[in-house]
Amino acid sequence: MRWPFRTPATPGDDDIRREIADHLELEAEDVARSSAGLSGEAAATARRRFGNATLVAEEVRAVWRPTWLEQLAQDLRHGIRSLRHSPAYALTATITLALGIGASTAVFSFGDHVLGRPFPQLPENHLVWVVQRSPRECPTCDNASPAALAALSERATTLSAVGAAQLWRAALNGHADAPSDLVIGYRVTPNLFALVAAPFALGGGFARDAGTPGRDGVTILSYDYWRDRFHGSRGVLDTTVMLDGVPRRVVGVLAKGIAFPEGVDFYTPLVMTAAIANDHASRYLDLFGRLATGASVADAQREAARISMQMASESPKSDAGWVLVPRPITAFHNDDTVTLVRIFAVAVALVLVAACVSAANLSLARTSARRREMALRAALGGRRGRLARHLLTEALLVSLAGSALGVWFAAWGIRAASGIMPPSMARYAPGLAFVRVDGRALVFTLALCITVTLLFALLPALRATRTPLSAVLAGGGRGSAGDAHGTRLRAALVVVEVSVAIIVLSAAALLTRSARNMVNGDPGIRLDHVLTMQLSLPRGTSDSSARDFVSRLDARLRNVPGVRAAGVTSTTPLSNNWWGTIFSVPGRPPQPNGSPLTANDQRITADYFRAMGIRILSGRSIDARDRADTGAQRVAVINHYMASHLWPNADPSGQTITIDSVPWTIVGVAADVHHGGLDESLRNEIYRAAAQAPSTAMDLEVWTAGDPGAMRVPIRLAVASVDPRAAVGTVLTMREMDARHISPFWLIADVVNTFAIIVVLIAVVGLYGVVAYGVSQRRRELAVRMALGASRRDIVSYVAGGAVRLTTIGVVIGVGGAVAFARLLAAVLYGVPAGDPATLVMVAALLITASIAAALIPCWRAARVHPAHSLSE
Amino acid sequence: MPATREQIELLQGTLDMLILKTLLFGPAHGHGIAKHIQQTTREVLVVEHGSLYPALHRLERNGWIASRWQTAPGRTRELKFYRLTAAGRRQLRTQESRWEALVRAIGRVMQPAPET
Repeated sequence: MRWPFRTPATPGDDDIRREIADHLELEAEDVARSSAGLSGEAAATARRRFGNATLVAEEVRAVWRPTWLEQLAQDLRHGIRSLRHSPAYALTATITLALGIGASTAVFSFGDHVLGRPFPQLPENHLVWVVQRSPRECPTCDNASPAALAALSERATTLSAVGAAQLWRAALNGHADAPSDLVIGYRVTPNLFALVAAPFALGGGFARDAGTPGRDGVTILSYDYWRDRFHGSRGVLDTTVMLDGVPRRVVGVLAKGIAFPEGVDFYTPLVMTAAIANDHASRYLDLFGRLATGASVADAQREAARISMQMASESPKSDAGWVLVPRPITAFHNDDTVTLVRIFAVAVALVLVAACVSAANLSLARTSARRREMALRAALGGRRGRLARHLLTEALLVSLAGSALGVWFAAWGIRAASGIMPPSMARYAPGLAFVRVDGRALVFTLALCITVTLLFALLPALRATRTPLSAVLAGGGRGSAGDAHGTRLRAALVVVEVSVAIIVLSAAALLTRSARNMVNGDPGIRLDHVLTMQLSLPRGTSDSSARDFVSRLDARLRNVPGVRAAGVTSTTPLSNNWWGTIFSVPGRPPQPNGSPLTANDQRITADYFRAMGIRILSGRSIDARDRADTGAQRVAVINHYMASHLWPNADPSGQTITIDSVPWTIVGVAADVHHGGLDESLRNEIYRAAAQAPSTAMDLEVWTAGDPGAMRVPIRLAVASVDPRAAVGTVLTMREMDARHISPFWLIADVVNTFAIIVVLIAVVGLYGVVAYGVSQRRRELAVRMALGASRRDIVSYVAGGAVRLTTIGVVIGVGGAVAFARLLAAVLYGVPAGDPATLVMVAALLITASIAAALIPCWRAARVHPAHSLSE
Repeated sequence: MPATREQIELLQGTLDMLILKTLLFGPAHGHGIAKHIQQTTREVLVVEHGSLYPALHRLERNGWIASRWQTAPGRTRELKFYRLTAAGRRQLRTQESRWEALVRAIGRVMQPAPET
């Protein structure tokens, strides 16, 4: 006897009943045999011994009842089968959802890394940035005084550690003869690396006492600088480098990717003496703290406010009105990044809504087509819940497939985006380099997937299972009248798609126009054929030596072939750097709000204006007469913006301004330069003669006859021939500088443009679907119309009219949303008003045209229908 | 069948083991299994016949026993016969060793060995 292996089949009810009956019979026979009683009594005994037979049968059935997992597997099998039968629907819905989910996942990863975990490479992320500001004197100030650092370190219990950093530029020499690098570094309190738990590639952090004078001759290098300058050699440890002429021993190299609080080249200890620690008046430190276990940012804020009050009462002269405010560490990074993430988030939410609506629409169309099946199954005893579960499982399958594809889209999109990501952005947002689809993003995607399933499938599922059989069968299977509600619902969904498309499309149009304006706009300087180079003289260089260097450099560059004009200034326009200076106009009160007048301080040589193509509007430029040694008058040129604000109706030439209690006579007015880029408003600028206001740090601008990039080497050599100790920092052509400044705006525009293309496609496909469905549903009606004499044109305009009506409603709703979204965009727009009517009209026209195009195909098909053919069906 | 003093209610889970053990001697139908258990325990163990069937079906669903309708010797009708599968044999071994461990443990508590 062989018993082949098989999965046990569920026994039928008959089987179970028969088995029990057999048992009772056999038992009754036994009883009858042993006690020889009446057969009726034997049967009763057998039944008694058996217990409740009905109950037992029910228990047996319960054993075989499928578990929820088995039911799910059953539903999944059913779902896959039914999706295989309509591949067009499965494919369209999957791709639509993949676009929405993919875009969302990408933006989530971006925001999560840049804002949520700005230092993913640091084990310690419970960090705060503590700003010191005075609501009255300086409401947007960030930097804190050394006294504030001391007070927080000693008194704060919500902060387990407090550290500080101060940015500085220095010249670094590998050895005495090597050309110097102009490098950027931080002076940091020795505890800062422990505070953020920074890992090291080589060596370690600073010793506890590295901040005391005499013990501070040490430095730590960033990974990138170590790799680039020291070729990643392990031998660099314990060697000595010259930083601004001071020898410092390399004690460590930070691990790869560690950039705190920003990417720099090196770190040195911040020297803190009792005198410095007691300085309440100068505020120049970036303060960072680690939250104590269990403490929140709000707790730290309350405590810091209390400590600020104590400080104010202890030294009212310097600290009255100043408050220490711990903020989440993410606040340290550019507000622009926050705006960026917010714009992306809104745009991507709209894409997701469009994708869900579109999938719901497809699903509705499909369930409409399956109404007969659903109604029949319901009539044959299919429970509503079970039917709805079938549809939901099917939807879940689609959105799972969409999510998988979407994650792939997201990973691909992030790779593409990081390709066009400007390096300047990565510097200010260290998290950017780490953006990828990780576990957290996958959890997000999964949650999104479930939400999306409910959003797009619940409505169709409920509708489908509620349809009574009679409605379907009476409609002859065409659902002509019975499905009017469904058609209206689908039309409403298309209206949503169109309005979402309008919102995203208009945002994309605004951003693109803005970026194009920035490219085509005139920042007020020559962009072509200009090379710019950061220069720095060794620390301790005297004023006269600096003056001498500048004049010799000037003379030397005049003799370099290919140089048309060369000049130095303090900071190059568009470089995101500027030097602020406070000035006053004798005999005039400061500004109405009491704050002092400020200007961008540019110390230039005679040829700066010519090299940069800045026109002199009135008066004269700085020239060779403006020297320091002959007791010549100290002169300044101001920009047009400053002139028109301070001397609106007069020529400012001959007027005096005071800087550091020294009077400077204005001799001319220069054309305005958008120093901070076209996206930033103009500000006061004061140009002084570098000879009269010497400085050891400067930017060199060279107007070249040919390709400026080709002049890098000759000009570096020229600088070295004037003074080999002059350190050279960033060298860029002005075109590169401009591109660096503009590229973030292109990035935003590119991303939102991609989103816009997606939503417009979704809207057009959705519209096409509704019109086509409408036509197929109304073939008889159209045939009757044609039979009664309607021309093809009538039919086309009748059908297309419906499409245009839907689009118009969508456009009207969308314009409202577009204006609201544009308000968020205003921060990154240049030269386009946020609610620009021209853009809105263009976008609306584009969408209406696209919708007519989408409607034309089914219209044309409708018009070709031969009435006799349709009616005889 | 009311429980008399000499009869013991079955411990939870032991019924499965008894069924598997019974089937070790060859295929049997439900009634045969019930009778075998009752006779071999000299009517000490009470198996309410009804409770046998959910247990049989549970074992079958787990793949430990298999069933087939076949004609029993000396009968004209087909009865549902159960037999042990290979998985069921393994399961029986596991249950037996667990049972022995339990009995030993309880035994040590109830009749502690004299200290030596």
